[in-house]
Amino acid sequence: MRLRKLLPTYLMASAYAFLLVLPLFTLLSASLRAEGDLYAPGLLPPHPTLEPYREALSRYPLPRFLLNSLLVSVAVTLGVLATSLLAAYALTRLRFRGREALFGLAVALLLVPGEVTFLPLYLLVDRLGWLDTYAALTVPFLASPLGVFLLRQYLRTLPEDYFDAARIDGATHWQVLRHVALPLSAPALGALAALTFIGTWNMYLWPLVVTKSREMQTAQIAVNFILNEEVARWNVVAAGAILVLLPTLIAFLLAQRAFVRGIALGGLKG
Amino acid sequence: MGVQGFFLAKAGLLAALLLGTAQAQRITVEFWHSMGGVLGEATEALVKEFNASQSRVQVKAQYVGSYDDGINKLLAALRAGRGFPHVIQVYDIGARIMADSGAVVPLEDLARKNGFDLDHLLPQPRNYYTVDGKLFGLPFNSSNPILYFNMAAFQEAGVPFKPTWSLKDLEEAARKLTKKDAQGRTVRYGLSIPIDSWFVEQISYNSGEYFCNNENGRRARATAVAFDNPAAVAFLDTYARLVREGVAANTGRNWADSQSLFAQGQAAIASYSTASLTGVLRQVGNRFPVRTAYYPYLKERNGVAIGGAALYVLKGFSEAETQGAWEFVRFLLEPRTQAKWHLATGYFPVVKGVTELPEVRQAHVRQPNYTTAIQQLATSKVNNASAGCLMGAFPEIRQYVQAAWEEILKGKPAQEALKEAKAKADAALERYNRSVAGR
Amino acid sequence: MRRRRGELLTALPFLLPAYALFLLFLVWPALEALWLSLHRENLFGRGREWVGLGNFQEVLARPEFWKSALLTLKFALVVAPLELVLGLLAALLVYRPYPGVAFFRTLFFLTTAVPTAVAAVAWGWFLHPVGGWANRALAGLGLPPQPWLTSPDLALYTLGVITAWSGVGFTAILLTAGLQNIPEEVLEAATVDGASPWTRFFRITLPLLSPTLFLVGLLVVLKSLTAFGQIHLLTRGGPAESTMVWIYRVYQDAFFNFQVPLAAAEAFLLFLVLLLLAALQFWLLGRRVHYAA
Repeated sequence: MRLRKLLPTYLMASAYAFLLVLPLFTLLSASLRAEGDLYAPGLLPPHPTLEPYREALSRYPLPRFLLNSLLVSVAVTLGVLATSLLAAYALTRLRFRGREALFGLAVALLLVPGEVTFLPLYLLVDRLGWLDTYAALTVPFLASPLGVFLLRQYLRTLPEDYFDAARIDGATHWQVLRHVALPLSAPALGALAALTFIGTWNMYLWPLVVTKSREMQTAQIAVNFILNEEVARWNVVAAGAILVLLPTLIAFLLAQRAFVRGIALGGLKG
Repeated sequence: MGVQGFFLAKAGLLAALLLGTAQAQRITVEFWHSMGGVLGEATEALVKEFNASQSRVQVKAQYVGSYDDGINKLLAALRAGRGFPHVIQVYDIGARIMADSGAVVPLEDLARKNGFDLDHLLPQPRNYYTVDGKLFGLPFNSSNPILYFNMAAFQEAGVPFKPTWSLKDLEEAARKLTKKDAQGRTVRYGLSIPIDSWFVEQISYNSGEYFCNNENGRRARATAVAFDNPAAVAFLDTYARLVREGVAANTGRNWADSQSLFAQGQAAIASYSTASLTGVLRQVGNRFPVRTAYYPYLKERNGVAIGGAALYVLKGFSEAETQGAWEFVRFLLEPRTQAKWHLATGYFPVVKGVTELPEVRQAHVRQPNYTTAIQQLATSKVNNASAGCLMGAFPEIRQYVQAAWEEILKGKPAQEALKEAKAKADAALERYNRSVAGR
Repeated sequence: MRRRRGELLTALPFLLPAYALFLLFLVWPALEALWLSLHRENLFGRGREWVGLGNFQEVLARPEFWKSALLTLKFALVVAPLELVLGLLAALLVYRPYPGVAFFRTLFFLTTAVPTAVAAVAWGWFLHPVGGWANRALAGLGLPPQPWLTSPDLALYTLGVITAWSGVGFTAILLTAGLQNIPEEVLEAATVDGASPWTRFFRITLPLLSPTLFLVGLLVVLKSLTAFGQIHLLTRGGPAESTMVWIYRVYQDAFFNFQVPLAAAEAFLLFLVLLLLAALQFWLLGRRVHYAA
């Protein structure tokens, strides 16, 4: 009975979802076609083959690119989680002069576009001798204004009682952070983790500039690289793109629950 | 033990010392290039061969991305004062920039010091990279534009092949080669040229016109552009007219899209670089026979300028390292090396004496299209027009020319669009010249 | 409990990691970029001379700059409504629990996980003149193929659609949460009173959702002002400079035209605009705090 009422919803949702995912689907389809079949009509590949993937992986050091992106993304994510939680805790549970100003600073920093700071940042990184190293790809991003913003917003929504109870019991701030704030912030941390992972995975201009050797380059550069090289061979480009998509897709699917809750809570409860 | 031990120790020490110094003498030369794909493989092969051929110098090659990425990385390194390589590949239009940078050891100086006769080089590539009378860079991958023909289409339409084409001839042939269906929609285009300033530059040079003033910036520093010349205007107006008639295809700036069209048989005549030959032939496969011809001109054929990129040796390293860099460059200039590079890529050799080598001759017999660019160059006049334009803000100015081309396709008359572009280009050039003046 | 200043010392170790990194890698380079924008130098970084606001004057005097500013505005006006409508549509379909909703939620929210480069490649292929599904579909309907990314008239709108598509997942998530925050009782009361679904939507849901909508809209506008990856990979600011939005011009001036101080000035102006919009958002947010409670 209820199902009949849901039919229009199912129909619309299916149609909409299909249209939304269509570009990704045709990309997947292209990645499974041999070069001759590329322009063959129809959504599905006529003779599916993994050849483009083999080509993408053999002609380009994709595994290395993917590994680099993975290492960098994981490192930055962990860093952002740690620094943001620490800062957010201080900004919400501790009182001191200039607290709001510091928070305002974090918000203002959210707006500074990377294309502005890239050159001086590059010169700084060079002076530190970090060019073409993982340090250049990770250290500048170990703290994120977005992280501080989201976690501070989230912590503010948590009931004071939990924290006060722990403090009354004689816990130090570190202990409160570890045993109260950390577990309670799990949704927000999950969301931040997913966002940061995806955002770091997505970085393009910066890795391009600070890396020289192919051993250090990241997955996004690989996509541009392949796009420029395989000018007409869209099946190989598609295969490369799908391979670069997979990690963030998996991260998203795993963290979806936490991700969704965290963003919504952080973005709205302002 | 005693004496024996002492001897052994001494021998050991001596061996270690010798080994140590032998190792220390292997100089590392860092080489940045922008050759990817097939070209990258060919580059790596050359580097490997050089490294294996001697034990003094070890070249470490790095693919630094596109030409734009490469020059940006270089400029950033120059600003920081460190991190730049010994040898770098920079595109043709960066010639003025590299000369102005003060960071280059001119090839001319290195050649003179090492007793290498620069007359071994073909005149056109040498002239292109000669600034203020000095050769700055080594023309490494040199190309020029050529026409590609779908000979099956030519036969079908009854158009005879000829090696040289005036713009007017090309227009007429394109019309004959266009096939339309019953509804008047074009099934096969007669002509397809990607929107790239390079083609506008080349029609200027090939028609005896300059692209920038002061005779292409060769007689004195260029202070204004000259791309509003009759050849460029005629070329762009013609192309726009043909697009309106459905005779020419507008595939945008992407060369690959135009090449797809040609390879699928949907465009009978196309124009690309000679370096595109291998790729295009592979894409066409067995569909139809391909022939190539010289790039068109307006009234009388003057000669095309070379394109591609050059290698520059940078200052700031020890005597030994710079010498090592020169040895690498010297290796690349040998006819045998040039032959390998030419046959693997389609770029033509820049030194004399390569085309006579047996392996090159044989390859040319098998695929005569590879000789078109070489012959075009050999029969080009050597003057400041065919030397190509040398000016500072070239990358920026190319954008203005391309934007003008797009405006012209939208309906603006070429003269007007080029005049507007010229105003922007002149301003950019003036800004550039002003900024390098106080050095 | 404690004196206001006293807690600062306790707070320092918590704040230091994040803020030290901010200072070193965000504030310092931003200030240095600003410093750079007040000078002129040649493209090799030498011959630096003070010009005060000279670069800013030059930037504001160039017609190309205003063209870019206008294009950016046009772009935002295309992306924001599209992304909001699409996101709202998705949210309306999945905010209530029903069997299978999780599946649809995943699909709708999916685009958040797609990196810009991949989205650009996917759409590049989708809109390919010969092999792309979009033109094939048009041909199937008897319509002529469109030069989606190569026509100066279409390119900006095409990029707008691609950008909206990339962001619709994020927007849908936020709007879903917004819809879920609307108290069920109000809607039920309206149904009991005999209100039709349309009336319920326009008279109740939408007004109650409007603060969220507004906030999300502002966020979308902010994001669209700094959209870069897809433009770089698909059109490079062309054709005929029709997609040369503000931030792409900054990139072009810095890396193509080697006019770094000028680019720094343009970037700083963009930053001011973003700051203004964010301040606006914060002011509005402050007024809405009581609403949620």
